[in-house]
Formats: sequence, structure tokens, C-alpha cells
Amino acid sequence: MSIFESMQITKNLSASRLILLFASGVALFFLIAPLTGVFLSLKAPNLFETANDIQVRNSIFRTLAISCLATALSSLFAIPLAYLLARKKFPLKGLLEAIIDIPVVIPHSAAGIALLGFISRDSMVGSLASKAGFTLVGSPVAIGMAMAFVSLPFLINSAKEGFAAVPLRLEHAAATLGASEFTVFTKITLPVASRSVVSGLVLMFARGMSEFGAIVIVAYHPMTTPVMIFDRFNSFGLDYARPVAAIFIAITIVLFIFLRSYQKKR
Amino acid sequence: MLEINQLEYTIGNFSFGPFSIRLEQGDYLAVFGPSGSGKSLFLEMMAGIRTPHKGSIHISGTEITYLPSRKRPVSLLFQDYALFPHMNVKENISFPLKIRKETKEKTERKVYELCQYLSIEHLLSREIEGLSGGEKQRVALARAIAPNPKLLLLDEPLSALDTALREEAMELLKLIKTSGITIIHVTHNQEEVKDIANKIITFPQNIKT
Repeated sequence: MSIFESMQITKNLSASRLILLFASGVALFFLIAPLTGVFLSLKAPNLFETANDIQVRNSIFRTLAISCLATALSSLFAIPLAYLLARKKFPLKGLLEAIIDIPVVIPHSAAGIALLGFISRDSMVGSLASKAGFTLVGSPVAIGMAMAFVSLPFLINSAKEGFAAVPLRLEHAAATLGASEFTVFTKITLPVASRSVVSGLVLMFARGMSEFGAIVIVAYHPMTTPVMIFDRFNSFGLDYARPVAAIFIAITIVLFIFLRSYQKKR
Repeated sequence: MLEINQLEYTIGNFSFGPFSIRLEQGDYLAVFGPSGSGKSLFLEMMAGIRTPHKGSIHISGTEITYLPSRKRPVSLLFQDYALFPHMNVKENISFPLKIRKETKEKTERKVYELCQYLSIEHLLSREIEGLSGGEKQRVALARAIAPNPKLLLLDEPLSALDTALREEAMELLKLIKTSGITIIHVTHNQEEVKDIANKIITFPQNIKT
């Protein structure tokens, strides 16, 4: 190889490395800059005032509690469904898997409209609830349903991948040792797939608490934090919305640090 | 003790059987055959993982052909041992005893006896991940015989071991044989069981049609 050829290769490498670094830098800047900007433009008195605002505190508690409850309740149905999808073959399975992913791809305001049609007083579910003395629209139940509707695919898909990765022979071994199907699931499959299931639960919880589009259609009040951020921005402007947004972003970041460290530990 | 009558299974263009055999308690049956001859399929039917399409299996006069795995007095030692990775050695061995709701004292005693029998007492608190191939095999054997099965199925138990460990494993199988359990040992290597098996059958290649 001549010196000229070596120099040409070095030059090409440097050029491609520069392009790679530049492209990566732009992508990272685009992700980090707005988040950093929220915190840098905060004024300390505003932040403390917002942190002590009972309405903000209540909305954060409400958002976290409803998302947590919606995740816990949904998991009772979603985890068996994920197992079914991972382990069993049946007609129209592909169609079912596509349907499960629909809430992720449709606009969330459209998801809210769909859900509103499902729970409004004119609907079967809504009229049944109304007869029992409950109004679903505008209630914490509606918020929970909206959160679950848009975030359930994250749990189902993550758990499904986890269950599919559990070797079948472990289940067979447990069965030959005397375990029933239920025991095989609870003592072998679920613990072995726990990392994916917990990741799915945390993702569902995080996605649920961040939801705005579907919730604002089915329940503007009582306000969740994302709705409150929109409401303050709409009514009073950026300076009033920014501290609430900063607090909520910080909570979300803490949650994701927990998720990442949990995934690394296991 | 074990009676297999006209056992048949068909999947796609592959068909197994009809196959019949009768074993007495303490018999050690070696099953040979090339890959694709249906050896693993045969073990799966015996263990209840697959249901035969025709024929019957009786153990001690009781028909088990359609019984689920958990209700059969049969244990299977998997080729790769299938130890539960989220449990340590003690938890793996005590698993079948806990399933049967044995008392804590009885489970502890039985696990310790088995570990003494197989010389693995020192491994009790170890995680599965750090065990050698030979150690894994002993743990899997202890777990398989813990529920006192009438029939023990061995699926290529020596194939995952290197030459040095095979001798040791052979001694282990001879030890298990002395306990009086009826054993079916599936392998493609006739050499490894010639000194231990008292009955031998070969599944032909032409079983695949």
C-alpha cells in the first residue's frame, strides 16, 4: 500500500467519523436542549411557590396514584394475555397482536374520543355505570381508563417478549416434577421473565402518567399534571406552566433512572 | 412394572411406532437410534409432554397414557438439565417436594440425604450459573429422584460432558441404578451404556417415512 493510499484512507475515516459525530451531536442536542432549557429558565421563587401549591401537589399525587392503580389492575389481565400470545398458537393471532398495538399508533386525542364513546352515558358501559350511581366521564376512573388504554401495549409487548424468551424445557421440567400449569407459571415462567415484566410495568406506569391527549377528552377535571401544565400555559402563559412541567419532568427522570438501574442489576 | 403397548405418534411425514416393550422394576433400558429416529419424542410421550396418538402406557398396572406430566410417577433428566436459573441448588432440589406440600423438616431432611447420596452437600447454597457440567448433572439428578419416581428417563445424559466427566457420570448412573428405580436411558452412543443397561433396543432410521 502506497503512502498516498494510506493517507486517503485516513482522510476518509476522519471525514466519516466527523459526519458520525456531527449527526449524533445534533440528535443528542435536540433531545437534551429543551429539557435542560426548562430547568435553566426556572426562577427559584416560582419553583418553590409551585412546589408548595396544593393544587399542583394534588394533581401530581392524583396522576401518580391513578397511573399506579391503572397499571396494577391492568396487569391482572394483560400479563395472562401476554403469556397466551407468547406461548399459544391460534387463528388470527397476528391480527390480535396488531390490534393491541393500535393505541400506540393512533393520535391520543382520537383514542380519547373512542374511549369517550365507550364510557359516555349513551353507551352500554356508561348507562350501566349511571344506573349504579356512577358518572364515568370526568372521574378518576375515566382518567385511569385513558391511561390504561394508551399504555397497555407497552406492558403486553414487553411481558410477551419476556415469556417467549423463557425456555419451554424449564416449564416441561417443572411439570414433570409435579407442578400444575398455574404453579409452572407463577414459580417458573413469571420469575424467569420478571425483568421484562417489571420493565413493562414501569413503562406502562410512566407512559400512563405522561398521558395528555386521551385524558383531556374524557376528564379535564379532576386535573392530572399533564392537563394542568396545558391549562396553566393556556390560561396564564409559559412562566406559570414551566415550573409544573419542570417538577413533573424531574419525577419522570427519577423513575427512568430507577428503571435503568434495575435493568442493569438483574 | 412398565408396560408399553403399540405406542404410535405421527407428526407431518414422521411417524413413530407402533412400539411395545415391558420392563420390570430395576430394569435399565438403553434406547439407541440416530438423530430423527424419535428417541426424544418417545421420552416426551413417557413424561406426558406429548400425548400418543395410539397405544397405551401402564405403570404398576395403572394406565398413565393420558395423564398430565404432573400426575405421573415419572421424572425426566433433560439433556441440558433444565435447572431453574432463578433458584439456587437447594431450591432446585426441594422444588418437587414443596410442590407436594411436604413439611419443611421433611423437605430439609430429604434434600440433605439426596445431596449426601450424590456427594453435593457442599453445593447447596450455590447459584446454578456458577456450577460445572458435572455438578449441574448431579443437581438435576437429585431433583429428578427427589419425588421418588417409579420411572426415571434420561435424555442423552452424558452428551454435555467432556471425556473426563463421563467416567464420573457413569459411576453416578450405576449408583442410581442400585436404588431400584426403573430407568430408560436414551443415547446415540452404544459404548456409554454397554456396562450398565440390562435391556437394549434400537430405534431404526426408517422409522421416519
